[in-house]
Amino acid sequence: MPASRRVRSTTRRSRRDLVRLLQVDLLVNLTLRDLRSKYKRSALGWTWSVLNPLVAVVVYSAVFSVFLRIQPTTGDPSGIRSYAVFLLVTLLPWQFHVTSLTEATRSITANGPLITKIWFPRWVLPTSSVLARFLTLLVEMAVLLVLIAVIEGHYAFAWIPVVLVLMALQLLFTIGLALMVGAANVYFRDVQHFLGVALAPWMFLTPILYPLDMVPTDREFLGMGYRTLYQLNPMVSWAEAYRNALYDLRFPSIERWLAIVGATVVVLALGAALFRRLEPRMAEEV
Amino acid sequence: MDGSRPGRPAVSLDGLGKKFRLTHDRNWTLKATVLNGHRTRYEEFWALRDLTLDVDHGDTFGIIGGNGSGKSTLLKVLAGILRPDEGRASVDGRLSALLELGAGFHPELTGRENVYLNGAILGFTSRDIRRRFDDIVGFAELDRFIDEPVRNYSSGMYVRLGFSVAIHVEPEVLLVDEVLAVGDLSFQKRCLDRFARLKAEGRTIVVVSHDLDMVGWLCDRTAWIQNGALRAVGPSAEVIDRFATGAEGTVGDGGNGSDPTGGGLGLERLSSDDLVRSVGLVDPNGHPTATVGSGRPVRFRVRYDADAAGEPVTVALGLYRADGTHVASINSGAATRGVSHDRSTTAADHGDGAGIVEVDYDVPTLPVQPGTYELSVALHDATMRKVLERHTHLLRFEVEPTGVDPQNGLVALGGTWAAR
Repeated sequence: MPASRRVRSTTRRSRRDLVRLLQVDLLVNLTLRDLRSKYKRSALGWTWSVLNPLVAVVVYSAVFSVFLRIQPTTGDPSGIRSYAVFLLVTLLPWQFHVTSLTEATRSITANGPLITKIWFPRWVLPTSSVLARFLTLLVEMAVLLVLIAVIEGHYAFAWIPVVLVLMALQLLFTIGLALMVGAANVYFRDVQHFLGVALAPWMFLTPILYPLDMVPTDREFLGMGYRTLYQLNPMVSWAEAYRNALYDLRFPSIERWLAIVGATVVVLALGAALFRRLEPRMAEEV
Repeated sequence: MDGSRPGRPAVSLDGLGKKFRLTHDRNWTLKATVLNGHRTRYEEFWALRDLTLDVDHGDTFGIIGGNGSGKSTLLKVLAGILRPDEGRASVDGRLSALLELGAGFHPELTGRENVYLNGAILGFTSRDIRRRFDDIVGFAELDRFIDEPVRNYSSGMYVRLGFSVAIHVEPEVLLVDEVLAVGDLSFQKRCLDRFARLKAEGRTIVVVSHDLDMVGWLCDRTAWIQNGALRAVGPSAEVIDRFATGAEGTVGDGGNGSDPTGGGLGLERLSSDDLVRSVGLVDPNGHPTATVGSGRPVRFRVRYDADAAGEPVTVALGLYRADGTHVASINSGAATRGVSHDRSTTAADHGDGAGIVEVDYDVPTLPVQPGTYELSVALHDATMRKVLERHTHLLRFEVEPTGVDPQNGLVALGGTWAAR
């Protein structure tokens, strides 16, 4: 769009220097707004954020472990064999993924009055939605580490740096996706409905409730093995890597890391590019 | 004024244009887009077109115009909310826009939390806000309620807090959209005081308003925008005058309020080349007069050369107080439209020579306070699109006191007292 580049007002340029410094404050404030207002006027308040994964673990364990008798893998080399731990180490990052995207999708449309009245960099809206959920994830993961130590008597603490790197990469990956769905939803409200439909199958196509081994290798679809096709889903890499670090207690394979870093870079770049393209007319369309 | 550079205007518009898409089917969906092959039907509408304008540092600049003229769109483009489709708009220096007060407030958060949030949205760091926090709360007079959720605030408290945060950003360029009428009288007064202080500090203020008196009082220069195009720009009093009488043109840009139409007030300005030949007051008995009593009948009489005009004419009158306050504007509308076609009979009636038409505007009771008033006269074509001729402050006349009750203000209510 050469025309729009030519007419870009110097309002933005002269302010950009300042804004570069200030966005940290803006992000902090918007993230705090998100966290503070989330459980306002509810009797249980923050208990809800604990209750949600708790109920999920109980229900999924009952259905998949007890009824359907899905066997968790035995941790190698940790030797752990517990469906609840097996499930939680991937379920918590997945729930971060789901809530982040759901909230980021509406982050711009829900702030319509703000967007049409005040100029500020719009990307902070989906980003702060993700950041707010990320803080929740940090707390949940800390609790999980303690639980594993207490219940299973094994210490995953040495793997904290690896988990933190994984989480940081997942944060960037999710911000990339959040920028895409947040911006697209301004123009097509279908996005929020599409996301509601897509997230459930996406979860079942990620090794959260069952081990990756259960995906067959001996069948083909369109000339590609089921397992290969299955692994095109980037969330498979995160699930496996989290499980390696927290359940097996080993370093994820180099292929996993490459897939994770590659997906993060691509999605973040695409998200930023799409957002930049859709940003100028947001105030008109929102 | 750290961010501004000398020699550059504070606000500069260069051929600015902004168009909107009027989508006929607003609920377009992904499916529709895919099925229509990415062709959505919409009409383009230029809300602003070809605007070129400079506002100097330290100026207080007004923007006036009717509803839908593009004033607010212009402000949003300046604020960076809307992106121009043509030309350039630039603002030099730190900017704050008061488009809607408290737009960023979250109802569930306390006043304190919202001050930090809103400040951050307006570009403050948390440290900046902490430093000014007491001032912000003090100015809004909300010390007792600052830790209450803002959903419990009255609408007055809400906008007061919003105004207070925005004004404490200490902008070099402040954009204001019709937000001065907030809060009670004492708060309004402090708002205006604050504007005066910003003005004295040499900051640039751009005000969009329908309140012509306020624009005239506050602004050094004013632009009149109509249908997205610049109709006039210049010293406020003159632009407001033109807007009020519906005339067009660019006032000579003296900048210091000098009258470029050239001094003399009165009929001696009329020459035989002018369409307007005379304007005057006529008393109920049909005699020309120079004064009229407050609340008494009066007739404004305009005579013009319909022959020279060569087309149907609409006559517009503007009544002003001597201090420039706009009192009323009226135009003859359809009443004079047929006149030029059968002027032979009209002219013959008055026997004033070929082509001279006399138009009267009868006021049964002139509802203004005693004082000195001025009358502006303009002749338009029948559709009011084109100005044929205009004379500002053409006739000066006195309105004399008539009642025994002391009166003050703008209008004479003409009522009667009764006590039981």
